[in-house]
Amino acid sequence: MDFLPFIIFFIIANVVGIVLIVISNFLGQKKKLERKNDIYESGVNPVGSTTRQYDIKFYLTAILFLLFDVEIVFLLPWAMAYTDSTNKAFMIAGFVFFMLILLVGYFFVINSKALKWEE
Amino acid sequence: MLETLIEIIAKIVVILALPLGSLPLIIHVERRGAAFIQKRLGPNRVGPFGLLQPLADVAKFMFKEEVIPSHVKPFFFTAAPVIALTFAILPLACIPVTGPFQFMGREIFPEVFRSEMGIFFAFAASALGSYGILLAGWASNNKYSMLGALRACAQMVSYELSLSTALVAMVFLYGSNDIHQMVTAQSGYWFGFIPKWGFFVQPVAATLFLVGIFAESNRLPFDLAEGESEIVAGYHLEYSSMKFALFFMAEYIHMIGLSALFIILFFGGYSVLPGMDMLVDLIPGSLPIFQLISLVTKVALMIWFFVWVRWTLPRFRYDQLMNLGWQRLLPLGIVNLIVTVLFVYFRN
Repeated sequence: MDFLPFIIFFIIANVVGIVLIVISNFLGQKKKLERKNDIYESGVNPVGSTTRQYDIKFYLTAILFLLFDVEIVFLLPWAMAYTDSTNKAFMIAGFVFFMLILLVGYFFVINSKALKWEE
Repeated sequence: MLETLIEIIAKIVVILALPLGSLPLIIHVERRGAAFIQKRLGPNRVGPFGLLQPLADVAKFMFKEEVIPSHVKPFFFTAAPVIALTFAILPLACIPVTGPFQFMGREIFPEVFRSEMGIFFAFAASALGSYGILLAGWASNNKYSMLGALRACAQMVSYELSLSTALVAMVFLYGSNDIHQMVTAQSGYWFGFIPKWGFFVQPVAATLFLVGIFAESNRLPFDLAEGESEIVAGYHLEYSSMKFALFFMAEYIHMIGLSALFIILFFGGYSVLPGMDMLVDLIPGSLPIFQLISLVTKVALMIWFFVWVRWTLPRFRYDQLMNLGWQRLLPLGIVNLIVTVLFVYFRN
């Protein structure tokens, strides 16, 4: 029941896009031309296939993002719990320790040139 | 029960009408602003000051052909713009446009989806926007689209990190994750005239956050996903007609949502603008109206800032973008967080 407003909102948010596409599908002109089906590659004939290899850096970025995002996910509840906690020194010590480990990892990533984009 | 339902519908109408209704105006301001900055005229023919130009554009989008080329994956190709728009609209569910107020004997919280975790929900939903872009690039089956989508995603996740460290610092500083408490903490003045906005307490976090929202909404100078000179138009290259317009709408609504979050965290949210307090005292019961006006004004100024930056700064190179995100902003965010935490601990 608490989620009723959210569910209604989610449905409406979807419906906005779907309705607009459907309207435009009905109103828009339809003219089949063979040329319209071509892959757009700056006006020349397409070369090779799309499933080629892309730079490994994109995947490394994604993996490292996961690592650091988990850090944020840990820190958010910590920041919320801090105000009500009784043993503040312990909270701070845990935080500093956690951040130190994280910084070691961060400097390892930078030193191993995992995020170096220029060739 | 019926009253609750009416309340929900009324809130949804207000929160959707504000961004969707002002969208044509924002696009017009963007085009006229570009013309103003570049000493051109801009669209000024359709209606007074060219104000009807965006409506003419919408009509044209409607009557254009929805081309679905044979090389795309049709279902995902069509679903991608809808997903992008949905996740751009979704964060608005948790953004309060006024403070809680009494109306016909009921206490009304203005956000559609009232939750203590509202601000986190808004961030999670807006981060999901990268799925629409990634899906569009993949389903288009075009090299430029795929490259644009990969770039957009790598960029969005990289800048999300520094943005989130700024968020943690602010949540820690306010000692609460409830948006209303955050705004209450920012009302009032120092020395009688400087508003107690988070920006003045945490300028570093504010800067990180500002850069982050520029990168998250794929706006210049972080417009790498659609770098015209390199990958033509990026992820929406194969799109036409209304599906293209949906990506456009998604970008602008994403911008509005993130601006609202930025203002909640750093510029006092819906707390009234300096100087408006007297007006509020003058007319009893008008507080929610002035709060709404204040929030809309702040978001409008923020949107103008987006336009201003877009037509002033050139686009970054991709390696510069990633180096800025990972080697400058992320360490800065972490150091800022540590300093904030230690400062708050040793102050007491």
